[in-house]
Amino acid sequence: MSEFAPPGISADDAPSRWKLLSSTLKAQRKNLIIGSAIGLLWMVGKVSVPLLVRYSIDRGIDQGDMLWLWVMLIAIAGVCVGTFTALRRFYAFREARWTETRLREQLFNHILSLHVGYHDRAQTGQLMSRSSSDLNQIQSFVVMIPITLSNFSMIIAVSVILFVTDWKLALIALAPLPFVNIAGRRFSHSIHGAVLQVQMEQAELATVVEETVGGVRVVKGFGAEEVQSARLRTEADDIQAASIRAAQIRAKYLPAIELLPQLGLIAVLGVGGMQVIDGDLTVGQLVQFNFYVALLVSPLRMLGMTIAWAQRAGAALERVNEVLDTAPLITDPPRPLQLPPAEHAGAVQFRGVRFGYDPAAPVLDGFDLDLVPGQSVALVGSTGSGKSTVARLLVRFYDVDDGRVRIDGVNVRDLALRDVRRAVGIVFEDTLLFHDTVAANIAFAEPDADRESIERAARLAGAHDFIMGLPEAYDTLLGERGFSLSGGQRQRIAIARAILADPRVLILDDATSAVDPSKEHEIRSAMATVMDGRTTIVIAHRPGTIALADTVVLLHHGRVVASGPHQELLDREPLYRDVLAAMADEDDEQRAELAAESGADADADPRTPVGGD
Amino acid sequence: MHSMGAISDEDKLDADEAKKVLRRTARMARPFRKTVFGALAFTALTTLGVVLGPVILGWGIDNGITPGDTEVLRNAVIFYMGLTVVAYLAARQQYILINRAGEGFLRALRVRVFDHIQKQSLAFFDRNKSGVLVARMTSDVESMGELVQFGLLQFVSAILLVGFALVLAVLTSWQLTLVGMLVMPVIIGASRKFQRDSNAAYLDVRENIGQNLSTLQEGIAGVRVIQAYAREPEQQRRFKQSNRQLYDSHVHSVRVSTWYFGLVETAGVLATAIIVGVGGWLYTNDEVQIGQIITVVLLFAQLFEPVQQLSQLYNTVQSSAAALNKLFGILDTEPDVQDGPDELPANGALVVEHVGFRYPATETAVLTDVSITVADGERLALVGPTGAGKSTLAKLMARLYDPTEGTITFGGVDLRDATLASLRHRVVVVPQEGFLFGGTVADNVRIARADATDDDVRAAFDAIGALERFDEFPDGIHTEVRERGSRLSAGERQLVSLARAALVDPAVLVLDEATSNLDPGTEFIVERALDTLMTGRTTIVVAHRLSTIQRADRIGVIDGGRLVELGTHSELVSAGGRYSALADAWAKSQPVPGA
Repeated sequence: MSEFAPPGISADDAPSRWKLLSSTLKAQRKNLIIGSAIGLLWMVGKVSVPLLVRYSIDRGIDQGDMLWLWVMLIAIAGVCVGTFTALRRFYAFREARWTETRLREQLFNHILSLHVGYHDRAQTGQLMSRSSSDLNQIQSFVVMIPITLSNFSMIIAVSVILFVTDWKLALIALAPLPFVNIAGRRFSHSIHGAVLQVQMEQAELATVVEETVGGVRVVKGFGAEEVQSARLRTEADDIQAASIRAAQIRAKYLPAIELLPQLGLIAVLGVGGMQVIDGDLTVGQLVQFNFYVALLVSPLRMLGMTIAWAQRAGAALERVNEVLDTAPLITDPPRPLQLPPAEHAGAVQFRGVRFGYDPAAPVLDGFDLDLVPGQSVALVGSTGSGKSTVARLLVRFYDVDDGRVRIDGVNVRDLALRDVRRAVGIVFEDTLLFHDTVAANIAFAEPDADRESIERAARLAGAHDFIMGLPEAYDTLLGERGFSLSGGQRQRIAIARAILADPRVLILDDATSAVDPSKEHEIRSAMATVMDGRTTIVIAHRPGTIALADTVVLLHHGRVVASGPHQELLDREPLYRDVLAAMADEDDEQRAELAAESGADADADPRTPVGGD
Repeated sequence: MHSMGAISDEDKLDADEAKKVLRRTARMARPFRKTVFGALAFTALTTLGVVLGPVILGWGIDNGITPGDTEVLRNAVIFYMGLTVVAYLAARQQYILINRAGEGFLRALRVRVFDHIQKQSLAFFDRNKSGVLVARMTSDVESMGELVQFGLLQFVSAILLVGFALVLAVLTSWQLTLVGMLVMPVIIGASRKFQRDSNAAYLDVRENIGQNLSTLQEGIAGVRVIQAYAREPEQQRRFKQSNRQLYDSHVHSVRVSTWYFGLVETAGVLATAIIVGVGGWLYTNDEVQIGQIITVVLLFAQLFEPVQQLSQLYNTVQSSAAALNKLFGILDTEPDVQDGPDELPANGALVVEHVGFRYPATETAVLTDVSITVADGERLALVGPTGAGKSTLAKLMARLYDPTEGTITFGGVDLRDATLASLRHRVVVVPQEGFLFGGTVADNVRIARADATDDDVRAAFDAIGALERFDEFPDGIHTEVRERGSRLSAGERQLVSLARAALVDPAVLVLDEATSNLDPGTEFIVERALDTLMTGRTTIVVAHRLSTIQRADRIGVIDGGRLVELGTHSELVSAGGRYSALADAWAKSQPVPGA
């Protein structure tokens, strides 16, 4: 799947975290340079205003010399400062967002290209936070790059001007300012920890609320409201305490940061005032000092915070990089083979396959299976026998540890991934619907399919009728924020999806487990239609599904122990009878559970079943 | 946690609503009145300490430096010094006090909303998605946290700063203040436009973040389907689209604030130019002194930052007000199951008379004219097709809802007249899922009776014959159950659920039959525990299994919201009605090989 992998990222040349950022920023070089140049102009404008005020006081007012000129110059400087303030901000934020946007795409594309084995271990929430909050941290740091550059140049320019004007006064006036920087840095550090603590306490409170709302039947049933209230109070108290601690940190640093520069101003008034009286300094210069000290406060404060932000961004970059550095294990072969032409195709062969999610504990071992085109088999076995794994190996979600998996005589590892996956269609146990229209969800595999073929697929899957009953028929939006369908309806959409994909080999993974018993026969007839003349593997968890297949293959401990027609196996294989009996029990329970669930749903509001698992 | 609620009209408030929210907030904040006033006083002191600086400087120049009076200059410096120290001390206090008030308010709000949610009947929880309720208690309250932590302080001190600076400027020189104010119409106009635009931009960004996150989540959670159908390019295109849309909305929002910041900056410098120009002219006419000009210039320089801050805070305030409004909406929902005055007797018959039930705001009745008398100690099984209303009937019998018609009495007392405490003591519902809360096994049993000792909990486990099972745990009954009880098997969770019931020792047990997959060993213990628990108690069981139904004294068949058959198993089978058909179908769907 090399076409999906972002360029330049592989396990061999792992860029360090800052390398990732610098390579991303390199592409934005031009705008970053423009932004920095604007920052310098902004600095010049800002620094010129106090100087102009000084001259207008000393020359314009005091000596009555061309005041209007100085005033005009201040006004012009004002327009420039305003313009550059706006542009500086705009460039800084836009470029930072652009960095974030591109990194997020890179990350998303990479996540999609990563093998299923990776996703088995990774938590969705973690990958989500890499792509959202971590990138946001990086973004806030990138904003600071051009801004810090211009701030820094301003600090230098102002210091030079002040020292040239009067170095002794400059020393006294600026003395408190480094402490502003230090306090800013310390503040950023300690407040970060305190804020994290508050967030942790908030998460704990959220857990109590989630549990109470999710377990409301228990809470109400036992009248446990008081107990939960007490728990909530504890958590609310913890949040309050943590927040007050954060406030104490603010109380410790922020007033100091705010008022330290004022010490410089007092020094300017006292020492500078004496110098004016002695005739060593003009009033204008005194005012200029005042202005400049005030001007330096926020750049110094930000400089302190930038250092703390850089550290956080570094940690975030590392986490992002960790994902990007993971190389996809399942990729296209260098020179992919082609599948033979599609007529009379659909032969499947497993030869001596050994595979384990943990290689030390193989799930399949010495597994052989042969399917001629058009044949349908039901894989039957107790939980953990490896029957679902067979499907995952056929679509090459995983690579076998040993042995061969072939479709129409070609090893799946020698085919382009796209070809393998177009050749095999899976109807998954749990149907995932995307936030899109019904039509688009059915046409998932063939986005260009016309409405006619979508409808035909839906009809074959027995889904057309209920779709027509939806508010906007085929244009109804589904998914998390759309219309919710019942389990059976979702499955029929999934079957329609598979029909439209028209694969050589179809895999039905327990496609009826979540269906209301009264709808089960409809689904079964839909499945029978799809299977007609097509190579099909049914992963059977329920007795009813077995009847769909010509042949039953019995798995035990990762290998085939018997195969043949259902009745034959029933007669001669005690193990088969045992597995079926266990299955039927489970089935009975599931069915009852489902009836109870849908009962609760139908009794109550049909939107969301309340209650957790 | 990612909040990804779509933006709705709920997030915008009109002026009237905003006023109402404000008044109500003020009422709720009354207990913190003293702290708030204290915080305000300290904030005023701090602000004064900052804003007086230019005045002291100007005064020092005009009365100390210009006349060459070192005494006056020294006094000015000493005063300035003292003022700074006072301002520093006051600033520390303001942070502490404003947070104490704000966090106190939020704590009270959390507790109040939570308690109010808990008072609601099950119908409320059916109506409101659980995610929404959780969001109210978390992200909505937290969005106010930002305001409380620093927004409120910024808000107050910005207003005070603007006010003080203007007053001091007028006192220093009303003429210069007046000309300086010439730029104000521009700033006010720009600020209003900015507030409007930035609020819209902010909501737009939030909406796009939500959309982007859910596309992201869809992609990550759906990676197997996407890969199985080789749909990576399509998904990448979709994500790119949503990602670029988010980028555009960010850029738009930056653009909105950008020109505003530039304009305010320009206006500030222009004000300086005007004051210096006019001040110079007034100076030649001997109407102001240099120090006064400087004071006004510096005061005006301080004026514009708080104006910017106020405009930026507008979004925070706006979203907090919207969040508060939603929370008030919950507080305004009257619980529909109210506490009654009477104690329920220790035992008696449970009598259902002509009961009908309809969910609020719906037309179709779930139950119609149901009457059953369950004798003391009787075991009644409710059966019927999906959606027939049997679960609802069971819930009404435990007063998780109130019937819309008819009455349900226990020992002659209408359930609606009973205290909820005595009701939960006499009638216990055991839900089909063994739902566990965070904490230990014992904590989970104690949900049923908070004051139960460890011995009580052990006795409850013992009563259902499951004590041994839990004693084998690493920390016995004090073992942490972990997230949602992931450490316990389904059967063990059910045992905890049954132990809760045993702890209460109720007269009536309402069971929604437990049907999760159990390992055979536990299955047996659970069955036995259930049997022990039901012995000697009135039991109503919503039954799914033939074996359970056959063990009941009587069976009630519910269909289409009506009680259509009532009798013993053999009576109903021989009657040849719906139950016998159902029993037939049941028998047929039993395992193939057993046949």
